[in-house]
Amino acid sequence: MTNSATALREPATGSAGRRTGLLGRLRQVEPVALVWLVLVLLLLFLVVAPLAKLFMVSFETQDTGAFTLSNYLTAYGRARYLDALVNSLILGLTSATISVVLAVPMAWAVSRTDMPGKGITWAVVLGAFVMPPYLGAIGWILLAGPNSGVVNQLWRAITGAEGAFFNVYSFEGLSLVIALHSFPLVFIFVKAALDLVSSEMEDAANILGAGTWTAMRKVSLPLVWPSILGAFIIVFLETIALFGTPAIIGIPARINVVTTQLWQFFEYPVRVEVAAAYAMPLLLITIGMIVVQKLMLARKGFVSQTGKGGERRVIKLGPWRWALFGWCACVGALSVAMPLLILVQASFAKAWGRGVSLDNFTLRNYQLLLFEHEMAMTSIWNTIWFSAAAATLAVLIALLVAYIVNRRLVPFGEALGFLAMAPFVIPGIVMAIGFYAAYASPPLALYGTAAIIIFAFTARFLPIAYANSSAAIRAVHPEMEEAARILGSGRLHAISRVTAPLIKKALLGGWLIVFIVASRELSAAIFLVGPRTRTMSVLLYDLSEAGNFEVLAAFGGLLLLITLVFVAIGMKLVGRDFMLRRS
Amino acid sequence: MSRLSLRGLTKAYGKLTVVDHINLTLVEGEFVSLLGPSGCGKTTTLRMIAGFVEPTAGTVEMGGKIISAPGAVMPPERRQMSMIFQSYAIWPNMTVEENVAFGLKLRKLPAEEVRRRVAEILGVVQMGHLAGRYPAELSGGQQQRVALARAIVVKPDVLLLDEPLSNLDANLREEMRFEIRRVHDEFRITTVYVTHDQAEAMATSDRIAVMNAGRIEQVDAPHLLYTRPRTRFVASFIGRTNLLEARLENGDIRCDGFAMKALQLDPAMGGANRPILLSVRPQSIGLHCGRPGNGDGRPVIPGVIAQRVFLGETWDYVIQPAGSDMRLRVTAPPLQVHEVGDPVWMQLDPAQVAIVE
Amino acid sequence: MQNATRRHVLKAAAGAAVYGLAAPALATAQTLPPHERELYEAAKREGEITWYSGQYSAEGSEAVGRAFTERYPGVRCNVVRSTSQVAFQRLSQDARARVAQCDVFSSTNSGHFTLLKRENRLTQFRPRNADGMLESIRVADPDNFYQTTFLGLFQLGHNTQKVSEAEAPKSWTDLLEPKWRDQLAVGHPGFSGAIGVWAVQMRKMYGWDYFKRLEQNRPQIGRSSQDPVTLLNAGERTVGVCVPAGTTLLSISRGNPLRLIYPTEGVLATIAPSAIPRNAPHPNAAKLFMEYQASKEMSQVIRGLFAEPLRPDVPGPEGSLPLDQIKLLTPTLEEQEKGVPEVRELWRDTFGV
Repeated sequence: MTNSATALREPATGSAGRRTGLLGRLRQVEPVALVWLVLVLLLLFLVVAPLAKLFMVSFETQDTGAFTLSNYLTAYGRARYLDALVNSLILGLTSATISVVLAVPMAWAVSRTDMPGKGITWAVVLGAFVMPPYLGAIGWILLAGPNSGVVNQLWRAITGAEGAFFNVYSFEGLSLVIALHSFPLVFIFVKAALDLVSSEMEDAANILGAGTWTAMRKVSLPLVWPSILGAFIIVFLETIALFGTPAIIGIPARINVVTTQLWQFFEYPVRVEVAAAYAMPLLLITIGMIVVQKLMLARKGFVSQTGKGGERRVIKLGPWRWALFGWCACVGALSVAMPLLILVQASFAKAWGRGVSLDNFTLRNYQLLLFEHEMAMTSIWNTIWFSAAAATLAVLIALLVAYIVNRRLVPFGEALGFLAMAPFVIPGIVMAIGFYAAYASPPLALYGTAAIIIFAFTARFLPIAYANSSAAIRAVHPEMEEAARILGSGRLHAISRVTAPLIKKALLGGWLIVFIVASRELSAAIFLVGPRTRTMSVLLYDLSEAGNFEVLAAFGGLLLLITLVFVAIGMKLVGRDFMLRRS
Repeated sequence: MSRLSLRGLTKAYGKLTVVDHINLTLVEGEFVSLLGPSGCGKTTTLRMIAGFVEPTAGTVEMGGKIISAPGAVMPPERRQMSMIFQSYAIWPNMTVEENVAFGLKLRKLPAEEVRRRVAEILGVVQMGHLAGRYPAELSGGQQQRVALARAIVVKPDVLLLDEPLSNLDANLREEMRFEIRRVHDEFRITTVYVTHDQAEAMATSDRIAVMNAGRIEQVDAPHLLYTRPRTRFVASFIGRTNLLEARLENGDIRCDGFAMKALQLDPAMGGANRPILLSVRPQSIGLHCGRPGNGDGRPVIPGVIAQRVFLGETWDYVIQPAGSDMRLRVTAPPLQVHEVGDPVWMQLDPAQVAIVE
Repeated sequence: MQNATRRHVLKAAAGAAVYGLAAPALATAQTLPPHERELYEAAKREGEITWYSGQYSAEGSEAVGRAFTERYPGVRCNVVRSTSQVAFQRLSQDARARVAQCDVFSSTNSGHFTLLKRENRLTQFRPRNADGMLESIRVADPDNFYQTTFLGLFQLGHNTQKVSEAEAPKSWTDLLEPKWRDQLAVGHPGFSGAIGVWAVQMRKMYGWDYFKRLEQNRPQIGRSSQDPVTLLNAGERTVGVCVPAGTTLLSISRGNPLRLIYPTEGVLATIAPSAIPRNAPHPNAAKLFMEYQASKEMSQVIRGLFAEPLRPDVPGPEGSLPLDQIKLLTPTLEEQEKGVPEVRELWRDTFGV
């Protein structure tokens, strides 16, 4: 008995010993290493796999999967397809240029001068940023439809002219409408950079004989050149990835672009392979632009390197400040006030071209959406919870990555940061097609589920969350945590008790920005939604097919209302400029 | 001929008067420093001269013409001045050459001349070999040289410098002081130099205007400022000193424990009996183990070593004179060692004692 | 046992003639014909049906979905309304992803169904209610893989304030006159099934040259065939090409200054079916929905929205000519299946989008 007992006990102690060994070793591993591993896997899943899959698929034969180059031949084998590519490039460049022209004077005025009405200018930028681009497009159709658009009707009434003053169904119309909703990006980037330019930089030019305008032209603006260029590239990328506006304005204007062409590759038979091949040059263009940017900036130094020194004073403009204010007001009218007013009017109208009159007034559009349209309410709910989930996920991942990268906790941490920032330069629609190619089919079979949309949104907006979290973490000196750790607090404990409270506000701000941009995202959702997972933007797009602008306007009004509620929460909790701050 | 005059120059922000009725005149080619602690109004004064700040009262004149007065300020770009800034304000997006050529191009000089003058001035500041570099590729001292070259290449009527060396480390600062003075000797540009560092002001300036709380306390050549400070502030701000309260009584200066003839200090000294303040530099006091002779009329004060600190080049003693609760600081060479508590005798040199009102 | 008890309770409630919430549901359950009741019981276990609808307007589709759910409580109808080509694109994307989401697929392009049938992707089912449908449309497919659920008339329409009745075009070829430059509005065959069918028909009658000449009049191209109706209401364009009669009549009934034109060559009729995909996730609910589409109830619902009823026991919508007085143009199914992809490509080459 005793013998067998010991015999039994022996292996038991043996295994117990091994276990403590393993446990001991596990205990030696800082939890941060496990977090790191999880993050790597997550980023692979969200960013790398969809793009890798997209790249591979572009060389595959449908069904068999055999290697082929024929997808590329098909994708570029027709003049029309190439035209679409060229159209997109020109459109991107035009819209980005208009955005820069609109926004840079505004940014300079708000950042450096004594222009009046800075508060209103902020509101304009915020408004244009919050309004989904396709909604602005609808507003502009109502404003500048060649025959019934309000602007053109007024023009004819005043001048007695025959033709239209401005036809929204044109290349100019398309690029202007896009720019009117992209310029806030330029504004945010350029203003943040201008805020860092020390007044002494301008003083130095003044004292050497340069007046205010020369100093601005030769010194201030060149100093923020990287920001202008960066914002230009972002607007360019956003524009070529835009789906809603080209579909709504571009089709009647007979302008086929990359996104509407990609959509056509999803017609029966669905040719993901060709779409993937067609999307590749977008990535090449992106890479090309970044290379050009690097070359252009080369060895030069810019504001970021010298930002610390010197005070900043406002430049007195005299009467010119009213001219600048006029410019800002003008942009505000075009981008926010006019489209918004006309949308509100249309949402209560029976027919949008008939103007404001009692016999044209109806609540029917709202009634249809709120009480008769089964999907409208569901889509509102979808929008809110998908966006909230994506924002939470993105901020969480971004925070952890930012922490690991900034505190240099693991070797090659920068690689994580790079992956988190990569989606910034990938057109949203390419990302969506990557997700479709990688995760729609079994084994994951995520197509049509809420998960795939949440993941796509998370990946798409991860860079925003990352930039935000990274800035927040950098602002907390590591010694704050070290002080806690030396008093006996573990790393995770120190993070949760010391770091987290310090960056709470910044994170909340980041969360809200991701939430708001996700709530209006169309390109990334359009290929991934199922019957019950349609978001407001997708439903808006579906509704827009039949050109029923009155109902669209009403639905857009609801979307804006929801967004504004969240913006208001953000302003209350985080501060007035939380959406426009860039650190 | 006077080139630059400040007359009653005043700047107030609301109730706060930052610069209070300043009068200062620079002759052509003169190098004057505005020296004072931070917040004394020196930079504001400089910015008023440059035309960046409008005066609340008073004027700035150049060659007899008023260029700044309340409500009438000639903009900086028309003043034919140049300025070196605390942050250098070297434009990081331009090469050294482009930075220096900026002012010349604005003056619409022919390209050939611009090239020649840029090359010339870069030679003067020993930066010719780095003309193609960007500022980010330069050291702090090199950036400072670029700023200097950029400011003088336009041959300004007045050169303004706003704490230009405060961002450099100690060794470079010393080097650049001499550099600035050398360039000034070469070009003789009328210069106003703002600094809070007295050594800098001393090394570079023809005259120094010491400023405090918006006013000029004293304007003098550097050595006079040191040896003959006229206010308590100047005496204590320029070098270290012992300030002793004394009385002027019938031509005698009476202090706690010793007395001197007023004429020994200042031949012009005289007037009514009144309390006065004496400034005695620590290094002007002789320190002896035994009572020295008093043959040449130098007052001797006995005392006890209260504290001492060895600073390497000198001993820094704090001495309590007998029968007084004053504390006097005295510096002595390294080999002159006294222990705390030792009795010592201090001997004053009346020629090195200044009377401060 | 449980079921019996519940039915018993319900019956008692009905007998008491109480105006309660349960009453209308009960009434319908009571009046359901046996074949529907059987399907309804099975459908209730499935709980919902997803309908890819390209036939009726957004408003019409929602109304049908709502009426269905009211008639069969407990079976929710998810209406996914889009243009027919987009609906087919969704179905194809589902198939490509090997995910089944669609229970009933409805398109105005009958070619979609011959294709799906040949690829063996449809369920064989014949609704009993189809026996009561108009005789001419009762049998869409002899093998019963798909069933007619939409009888769409596509015509010309004009804004009566901008263009008088006398000036208005009378025929499809009138549209080619230069005076209609910048006046026309039309949908897109890459989106709308009906426009695709119409383009096939026009090509058959006049050759592709018809569209090259139409292009010279710079029609405004939307996506859905209904798009022009909104443009006419607003006065943005004056003549709508190949607009659905139902949507136009509905718009007229709401006070918009529109008029339908019956082109002299004939009206395009899309006699379009619906079908149940083989992998439909809710097959019984899908069959119930097919029954419903063939029922008198649905014909009444769509008649209220001025669409053409499918049954003789429901009169045509107000303001429309009876079917037997109209010349109908309809390409064959084969022509549709083969022709629509062709004209879609040609269209894109001609019109640029």
